[in-house]
Amino acid sequence: MIGLLRTLLVQILAVALLSVGSPLVVQAEVIGTLAGLESAQRNADLARVNRVLATADARAQLQELGVDQAQVEARLAGLTDSELSTLADNLEHAPAGGDVLAVIGVVFVVLLILEAVGVIDIFKKFP
Amino acid sequence: MRRLAPACAVPASILLIALGGCSFNPPRFAPEETAGLPPQAELTQVPFFPQKQYQCGPAALATVLRSSGAAGSPDELVNEVYLPGRKGSLQVELVAAARMRDRVTYEVSRDLPSLLRQVAAGSPVLVMQNLGVQLIPIWHYAVVVGYDLDTGTLVLRSGTTERRVMGMRRFMSTWNRAQRWGLVVLEPGQLPASAQLDRYVAAAAALEAVGRLDAAGRAYTRAHEQWPDSAWPQLGLANVSYRRGDRQAAEGGYLATLALDPGNVVAHNNLAEILSDRGCVSQARSHAERAAALAKGTALEAAVAATAQHVAGATAADSGVSCPP
Repeated sequence: MIGLLRTLLVQILAVALLSVGSPLVVQAEVIGTLAGLESAQRNADLARVNRVLATADARAQLQELGVDQAQVEARLAGLTDSELSTLADNLEHAPAGGDVLAVIGVVFVVLLILEAVGVIDIFKKFP
Repeated sequence: MRRLAPACAVPASILLIALGGCSFNPPRFAPEETAGLPPQAELTQVPFFPQKQYQCGPAALATVLRSSGAAGSPDELVNEVYLPGRKGSLQVELVAAARMRDRVTYEVSRDLPSLLRQVAAGSPVLVMQNLGVQLIPIWHYAVVVGYDLDTGTLVLRSGTTERRVMGMRRFMSTWNRAQRWGLVVLEPGQLPASAQLDRYVAAAAALEAVGRLDAAGRAYTRAHEQWPDSAWPQLGLANVSYRRGDRQAAEGGYLATLALDPGNVVAHNNLAEILSDRGCVSQARSHAERAAALAKGTALEAAVAATAQHVAGATAADSGVSCPP
């Protein structure tokens, strides 16, 4: 029995080893129109995006930003490779729209200063 | 690189009034900029979805989707484009959501007359604005639905206001600070006003890239009618045929692409792939070699090399197969 298993294992490993070195591993496929356009329009040194890596990166970040796990895949499905990579690279560095009330507070202070130095004239109605 | 601004929010009426009063000082356009443009236009049929807190992205997107005939309510779109952690939506996600509804997402040229031309042609324009200043940005999405050249004003569906009238100068300062980003969302058979070949074909190719083949095919067909001398729409049609499994149509399409542009690397590569699969090995090799020479040093080099390897391992078919010259 053990001998039989060993033979089977050796056969499986042999097949696996063979396929590693065979041309079957190279996945040749047709090139999409967008890849052609991007290559023609942009600098030649721009590498093609690894979609698998960019997807994993973007997925993790979207979940961190509170996107429901069930929706993440559907959201990523609509992005092209280069959009996906831009998203993955910039999600956390993008300017934060964040807390609008705080922002308005800052603007209010700026307005007050502008008012005080006479640049604008909008608070005069109030005593 | 496209900037990822996590847009939005803002019940901004107070700010807008505070920051500039209401004097509309009409901007002067050079006559050629507004040539052929009607002095006024307003798309009154465009629906209005008042935004909920922070959710101007879903509301603005629903507005342009509906007026292009696609489905989508702000509530549905929240799940697709709203980022809770950023309290806003990213441009690229708005684009993706429209694409998944089979719409061509065309970025308008970054000048006001071009934006007005879209409105005059019947397409509302989704715009990004920065209502704050560079240092303290307040990102916002709105939809331009009308304009009046004489008074120098625009009409926008914005936030909770169905018909916000805004001076063009004021609008320009908010639009400038958002890199003048504007988007029209089109049914695939429809061309935008003053359509630019490269941008339109890129939008169609993005549909192809995310697997929306019917929409991509219709957009390519329209583009091929509009620009019959360009190889790209022809290449797109061939690629759509290939992805649908119609290799015969694809082969014809790649040959037609090469007739328009003998140096199209994608057509050479894909033709090599098809020809080697059906046993036309010597023709496949010559296309693969041509593709390799053209792709040298570009982003496509590795993909083309993989094809060459695949072709090198192919075996010739019986003499019964008819191969192209």
